[in-house]
Amino acid sequence: MAMTQIIFYSFAAILLFSATMVVSARNPVRAALFLVLAFIASAGLWLQLQAEFLGLVLVLVYVGAVMTLFLFVVMMLNINASEQQQRFVFYLPLVALIVALVVMLMFKVIGPTSFPTSEFFAPGMRASDYSNVEAIGAVLYTDYLYPFEIAGVILLAAIVAAISLSFRGRRRDKTEQVAEQVRVKKADRLRIIK
Amino acid sequence: MEQTLQMMSLGLVLAPLLASVVAGFAGDWIGRRGAHSVTIFCVAISFCLSIYFVNHFVLAAAAPINFTVYHWLVIQSLQLNVGFLLDALSSMMAVVVCFVSLLVHIYSIGYMHDDPAYQRFFSYISLFTFMMLMLVFANNFMQLFFGWEGVGLVSYLLIGFYYQRDSATLGSFKAFMVNRIGDFGFLLGIAAVLASFSSLDYAAVFAKAASLQQQTVTIWYGHEWSLMTVICLLLFIGAMGKSAQVPLHVWLPESMEGPTPISALIHAATMVTAGIYMVSRLSPLYELSNTALNVIMIIGATGALFLGLLGIVQNDVKRVVAYSTLSQLGYMVCGLGASAYAVSMFHLITHACFKALLFLGAGSVIIAMHHDQDIRHMGGLRRYMPVTYWTVLIGSLALAGLPPFSGFFSKDLLIVAVSASGLPATGYATACLTLGVFVTALYTFRAFFLTFHTTPRMDETTRSHLHESPAVVWLPLVILAIPSALLGIVMVSPVLFASQTLFVNTIHVAAHHSAMAELATEYHGAFKLMLHAFVTVPFWLALAGILVAWLCYEKYPASPAWLIKRFNWVYRLLLAKYGFDQFNQTFVVGSTRTLGRFLYQVTDVSLIDGFVNGVAAVTGLVSSVVRRIQTGFIYHYTLAMLLGLAGFLIWLLWG
Amino acid sequence: MVSLANYLMLSAVLFGISVAGIVINRRNIVIILMCIELLLLAVNTNFVAFASFWDDIQGQIFVLFVLTVAAAEAAIGLAILVVIFRQHHSIAIDELSQLKG
Repeated sequence: MAMTQIIFYSFAAILLFSATMVVSARNPVRAALFLVLAFIASAGLWLQLQAEFLGLVLVLVYVGAVMTLFLFVVMMLNINASEQQQRFVFYLPLVALIVALVVMLMFKVIGPTSFPTSEFFAPGMRASDYSNVEAIGAVLYTDYLYPFEIAGVILLAAIVAAISLSFRGRRRDKTEQVAEQVRVKKADRLRIIK
Repeated sequence: MEQTLQMMSLGLVLAPLLASVVAGFAGDWIGRRGAHSVTIFCVAISFCLSIYFVNHFVLAAAAPINFTVYHWLVIQSLQLNVGFLLDALSSMMAVVVCFVSLLVHIYSIGYMHDDPAYQRFFSYISLFTFMMLMLVFANNFMQLFFGWEGVGLVSYLLIGFYYQRDSATLGSFKAFMVNRIGDFGFLLGIAAVLASFSSLDYAAVFAKAASLQQQTVTIWYGHEWSLMTVICLLLFIGAMGKSAQVPLHVWLPESMEGPTPISALIHAATMVTAGIYMVSRLSPLYELSNTALNVIMIIGATGALFLGLLGIVQNDVKRVVAYSTLSQLGYMVCGLGASAYAVSMFHLITHACFKALLFLGAGSVIIAMHHDQDIRHMGGLRRYMPVTYWTVLIGSLALAGLPPFSGFFSKDLLIVAVSASGLPATGYATACLTLGVFVTALYTFRAFFLTFHTTPRMDETTRSHLHESPAVVWLPLVILAIPSALLGIVMVSPVLFASQTLFVNTIHVAAHHSAMAELATEYHGAFKLMLHAFVTVPFWLALAGILVAWLCYEKYPASPAWLIKRFNWVYRLLLAKYGFDQFNQTFVVGSTRTLGRFLYQVTDVSLIDGFVNGVAAVTGLVSSVVRRIQTGFIYHYTLAMLLGLAGFLIWLLWG
Repeated sequence: MVSLANYLMLSAVLFGISVAGIVINRRNIVIILMCIELLLLAVNTNFVAFASFWDDIQGQIFVLFVLTVAAAEAAIGLAILVVIFRQHHSIAIDELSQLKG
């Protein structure tokens, strides 16, 4: 077995194992950590596919930022592991069956018969001075400048949305907060003195 | 000249309508005096114009004028117009209508004096006058039908005038319903005319009538009928409804629920004679069908005798006169069957006078008796109401048919004409009519004696208040008594037997129906006719009737009770009016109700409502099941998406 | 030789696992968000594989954008999660059935 195949299968195994653990872990922190592992394994696969920039971005941005964010939220919410196990087990066979069906169907489309090795051969190794970053950059800032800027705007929108959704500080305007008004209890407003 | 006549005819017909509208809508504003003044004024205008018309078309024998006032509807080649046909027949009828209407208007000032709905009454009787004149002057079937329905409508409104009373509303319903049945046949007849002649104008129809004499039409099971017979019989069904012939006569007694003036106007003189007028007007058609004439004669004769018999046992003074009207209408219709249209029209005219007189006289008595109408509570009114007494006596003698009063001429000539007819039913008809004379005299004078002679039977308070009615009430009585007495002597020759009879160019008698012609050959003048009466049967029968009435009610007052006991089954049969009402109630009304109930419960409630509600219920049921899918849980939605994806992929790969 | 089909099948299986994760998850919403991240990862792997085997850089460009959007979406999803937690004081999925018919 060639080295490439060993690398591929090992990383693939780690990826699938950690994905399964994400789905079935009881503790959400554990699930998050397994997700991190899945990303790392996936980054390895991408490196094998000679997409170095993306592999690194995956680790740095996704793992470093997004998963950290996940962990922040998980820990902030202080979630107890909930006890819905029996329902979990009950639905599992049915869902597994359906998922297996769907995956089999997908295999039919993208399996070896549709994409045989004879027609789709792996590209050769690139030259040593091949810079994936340069290749991406050459296209990104010229042909895809507009989508790039839009992606920036999307991120801005995400920031604004996230903040405005969860902001709980002092409001500058005097609009009525109906949700708060409804939640008022007698103890908040009345203090019996005598 | 013709232009002037057209304008005058328009004025004649429209003046009562104008009065009716003014009195109806502005009644509260112009008050009682305004209402009766405007209506009497307009009807007086119509009356004067109709006198002028009679002078022009009858006495001066001018040619008829047929003109169109207004093109109402044009459907391809069919033109429906509003048009007037001015000739001797319509002029005579118009005079009768306007004369009686005018007198009734004047009479109503006194009779309706205490009624709160005074203006409404005058509006209605003017409206009636308008409708009747439209009917009389019509020159096509559509306008005839308009007038026909219009008088039926106003009759309904007037019978139910005291609408707070249940009996009045029921009576008006009955009148309208039975009329409607007749109108159904009438409408079928008009449709048959339209289908056969492609036109509804009298002129076109009469011109083409002779050519269609042999034509037949198949109605059921391949059985062929003569077209003319079918048309004439269908049109006659309308006359049966409107002119109260057997079996559609049941509405007339109940119509006495209305105020007495309208009983005089509508149910004695004018509306019920519309059928007679219609058959006379359509004489060119009826002459072509012997079968129809035979049927007409039989129905008329049956009504004349048997409905007259019912008058003997009635205790309400208005009902006696109502049954008398039914009987006399039978006489007129029988005369029509004998092709003696002119004699029937003459009897119509004389009957209008003396019957209106009798009704108005009865009204005068009712006013005096404080609206108690039972003749068993009357008696001896002769002393208290002399004018009413003498005028009603003249009317009763005219009705009984004694010379020299007008009723004698018309009724006697009618009986002779019927006996001279060549139709198969002549024998039966003559027998009925002759016996009817006895019956007529009997019930008339029974009521007369019980009311005006015999011992007073009313209570003391009423008796002390008895007095003659005011002038507005007895003046019309006197005015009507004059033609009742003299019209016969004066008019019989000019109307019937002049060399150019008054109804020439209007009434058409076929050569083989020779009754009138035979009559003419035997007629030698009015005076000779009166002398001849002494040797005819009807005269002695009439005297016998008066004698029997006098014996039973004046001389031997206990005899009616004995007769009732002796012939109890006859008495009960007459009281039950031969069971017509029970028959109608059980079969006609009962079957209609059952059908209605069936249609309501089965088709409407179960089928249609069930279907519509069922659709809604099914939708509700289905949706209450389907909405369980919407659980609100994300994982169910995701599963659904997954299943959809799987299905899509399967379809994509193998579909 | 690792062929294209291998990578594609791998990403298909990863996709299936994450969809199953969404459907069978009864515990809390965070797991759903994580499974969505896994979905996007599977798709990205697909893109990168094609970009490599077809020697076309556009696949990688697309991955870049998908990454961007995924990050944004994760952020907003977590913000919403926080808001829900503040309302219900729990993030169990079974309590979020207010849209039921």
